[in-house]
Amino acid sequence: MQALKMLLRTWRGGQLSLIIWSLVLAVAVVTSVSILAERIERALTAESSSFLAADLVVRSSRTIDPQWVQEAQQKQVQTARVLTFASMVYYEANMHLASIKAVETGYPLRGLLRRTTTPFTSDTSLIQEIDFGPAAGEAWVDARLLPLLDIELGDRIELGEISLKVTQTVVEEPDSGGTYGAIGARVLMNYSDLDSAGVIVPGSRVTYRFLMAQGASGADGFADYSAWIESELDVHDRLITPDEAQASVADAMDEGRRFLLLAGSVGVVLAGIALALASHHFAAGQTQQVALLKSWGISASRVRSLYMQQSLWLGIGGSLLGLLVGFGFSEILIYVVREWLPISLPMAGLRPWITGMATGLLCLGGFTLPALWHLPTQSPLAVLRQDVQVKPVSSVVRGLFGVAAVASLLLWYSNNLYLSLAILAGFAITALATIVIGLALLRAGKNYGQKMGSIWRLAASNLWRRKSQSIIQMVGFSGAIALLMIMAVVRTSLIDEWRWQLADDAPNHFLINVAPYELDGVRNMVSEQNLQTAGWYGMVRGRMTQINGQEISEDQRDRHESFRRELNLSWATDLPEGNELTAGDWWDKLDLSGDIAPVSLEDELAGELGLAIGDQITFSVGGLIFEARVTSTRSLNWDNMTPNFYFLFPEGLLENYPRTNMTSLYIPPQQKLLVNDLLRKYPTVQVIELDKIIERIRTIVSQVTSGLEVMTLLILSCGVLVMFAAVSLSMSERLQESAILRTLGSSRRLILGIQLVEFTVLGVMAGLLAAIGAEAAVAMIQRFMFDLPFAMHPWIWLAGPIAGGLLVGALGVGYSRKAVVQPPLEVLKNI
Amino acid sequence: MIEVSNISKQVTTTEGTLSILQQINLSLAAGESLAIVGPSGSGKSTLLGILAGLDLPSSGSVSLNGQDITAMDEEGRAAVRAETVGFVFQSFHLLPGLTALENVALPLELQGDKDALQTAAYYLGRVGLEQRTSHYPRQLSGGEQQRVAVARAFACRPTILFADEPTGNLDTGTGEKINDLLFDLNKEEGTTLVLVTHEHNLAARCGQRMVLAAGQQVTEGSAA
Repeated sequence: MQALKMLLRTWRGGQLSLIIWSLVLAVAVVTSVSILAERIERALTAESSSFLAADLVVRSSRTIDPQWVQEAQQKQVQTARVLTFASMVYYEANMHLASIKAVETGYPLRGLLRRTTTPFTSDTSLIQEIDFGPAAGEAWVDARLLPLLDIELGDRIELGEISLKVTQTVVEEPDSGGTYGAIGARVLMNYSDLDSAGVIVPGSRVTYRFLMAQGASGADGFADYSAWIESELDVHDRLITPDEAQASVADAMDEGRRFLLLAGSVGVVLAGIALALASHHFAAGQTQQVALLKSWGISASRVRSLYMQQSLWLGIGGSLLGLLVGFGFSEILIYVVREWLPISLPMAGLRPWITGMATGLLCLGGFTLPALWHLPTQSPLAVLRQDVQVKPVSSVVRGLFGVAAVASLLLWYSNNLYLSLAILAGFAITALATIVIGLALLRAGKNYGQKMGSIWRLAASNLWRRKSQSIIQMVGFSGAIALLMIMAVVRTSLIDEWRWQLADDAPNHFLINVAPYELDGVRNMVSEQNLQTAGWYGMVRGRMTQINGQEISEDQRDRHESFRRELNLSWATDLPEGNELTAGDWWDKLDLSGDIAPVSLEDELAGELGLAIGDQITFSVGGLIFEARVTSTRSLNWDNMTPNFYFLFPEGLLENYPRTNMTSLYIPPQQKLLVNDLLRKYPTVQVIELDKIIERIRTIVSQVTSGLEVMTLLILSCGVLVMFAAVSLSMSERLQESAILRTLGSSRRLILGIQLVEFTVLGVMAGLLAAIGAEAAVAMIQRFMFDLPFAMHPWIWLAGPIAGGLLVGALGVGYSRKAVVQPPLEVLKNI
Repeated sequence: MIEVSNISKQVTTTEGTLSILQQINLSLAAGESLAIVGPSGSGKSTLLGILAGLDLPSSGSVSLNGQDITAMDEEGRAAVRAETVGFVFQSFHLLPGLTALENVALPLELQGDKDALQTAAYYLGRVGLEQRTSHYPRQLSGGEQQRVAVARAFACRPTILFADEPTGNLDTGTGEKINDLLFDLNKEEGTTLVLVTHEHNLAARCGQRMVLAAGQQVTEGSAA
């Protein structure tokens, strides 16, 4: 208890503030990030489940085995069967090839259906969110089916042998995003009406879905059942998990999650540096106390035990406080972003708390204990002689302990080797550069400063005289700046990458199968609505029949569907925007005069098909045969929502074959009826509607982006703490010197000027050196974590020194102000 | 009480071996007082450190209460210091984060004294600071700070008190008051007192004086 008493008194005396705040912040950052990450992750998992309308789905081309349903009933797992197929629906003389979805009672198992009796409304008060589908005999339809068939709610439409009463319009299905849009208006009906409708006959193209969700048997029961289902699957079936449900949303969520991790890891390292600096500072202040204790006859082992116990209490107390602050902070974060986070966040589990507590204790073990380790060996003689001072544990050993603590924290926390290595490497490069280049710069400054005015001369010689302290401070500053820049760069790249998803006018509809004679009419309809297309692309439907003179084998057909079906072949003069050549040459470097047509392939497909540059492909287009040779491969940008083609030919080769046209365009919700008019006038045109799924992606991406901004702010505060810790390192010495200069009659201008120059120079140098480490770490992080291309970031070479100079200079001068505000004697007395 | 036989102290510097103390001999009985005087750099503080067991001589021996502390390891000497020795320093060495009362109580608490705070309050009263117990060192004048240090030294009831220039940082008037306090308490508690000073007035109040010059014992004997 004596140790606790001593600790509390030291805390009250103010000497522990920096250590405690560093510790609290380390724990708080990790806890709040973990809580937030886990809660968002849980919410997003629930959200992804709603993309499936279930926790797990089997998609199949065969009827769902009744045994699956029986087994589920026994194991108390919820299930629902869903069938989708295209079929004609009629109302009097009108007809439409609708996209029918028959759902069993219980659908949706997860997420909600949105329906309304006011067609085409976007007024949310008129839209109902429900967790059940239509009753037998009813149909809920896409609003655009009403004008297409010229019907109103309450009318009955014919489907096969039966008629269904249209009672609602469907605004959104939770699982509509699973496929890339439906062709034809949706008709949602009850599964039990299928038999009497008689529309499903052997050979019908039907997709069966078996939806499963955790029921009364809980997570374990569900896990058992899903394992059993998995063992039942054959080649016709595919298991879909929430993660796979929506690839583009999953990508954004995944990147958001990784960014949270990155932010948390950067926070941990920053708080670690702050703690290391604070501990170093604290230990320096304790040597005299230890000498005193030893002069009273307190043995070295007792001193060690006292400090160990104090550290333990400090670790426990600081971590508990950190947990509280972290929880509070996560609540505030959630409150702040509540407008952007419409999804309700489930509570987090135990893991964030354990992570937070472990962070506190590990940080203490890695940073504080090594800094205090030498104290018990302090000679008691130091009470009589100032020159008898014990040497601290070498900075290399302390550095190793710190690195080990940070590395294990990073690894444990991020569970990502590349991220941990990148951050460590970035910091190590910065620290090393700071020591080597920083020393050289300080020396140069001292030599050059001699030729300058008194403020510069004094400042430069002070920095050199305190060089070891200056270097430690610079490592702190540059480490913090580098880590903050890593965050800023990754954040900016991510937001740039997502920009298309956030853009309000990203194309949300594809028009395909537009015949040449329809093209002008469709173009006119689009332009009458003042809408812009992403350009019209001609395409020809063709089939591969031979590769290098060999017929496509059964084996090849089984292996890849591109060998089985018709492919879209298109042409272009220039390499389309967003395409990049990965091998071979574009047309302008080729001789196009030969009999064999050159073709450029998408590189992933080329790999899957086993095709390489030089391979010859025989195409059949409507029975006409022509030869082509692979002359290049391209990577495509699927994110820009413009038409992309796997096979491209030079202009002029395919135009004589029967062709159709396609485009993509943005249709705002209020002009959505254009789709109806188009389909009514040109029934063979197909419209792929992506508006609803894009809207969902946009919502999630904007949530992730907001979360990202808030995290950046939190981490920034860690950075400022590091700077504060580093500035306070040399403060008592500086204040003492300033007080003496003041006593000797130096002006306030000279004293503050010296501090301003010293700190600004330190900050500018640190900012410059930080840019080196940040650039290296970002290169690794972008390459291995976010799959972004390598790019230099010239702005950080400018922003680093400027931000460093301003921040460090301001902090330093702010801190030194009391040297000129208070009387010198008071300053000296309080040191 | 204190027996010193032939102690010398050399240190090795870059410029060769430096002799700080040479052949010092001394004997001090319980309850007596000794002043070590001499100019700056004459080795006074080094000798005090060796006598108190804070440092070791290069040769010779020191016995406190019949125990040869020069033959002990640091742990042994620490045990002897804990039992026997108290200190008053020129720069007070009060812990800035602790109040006057806590500063005095700390060594007692570390010894496991359950009544540490009461004892500390009693000794603060003895030095006339009963009204300042909750003040921090920065809120006290130099003289008051040294009085706290004196209270702290006596609160542990040492048999030998070592004082290193106890009034060196104080003005003459305040210094005199501290000296009075030191000698009064010394008398009342029956403590053996060893002090380093270059003030002749203070030295004159001690039973014995030792004058050091360049590490050598110039005179030894009782005060006139």
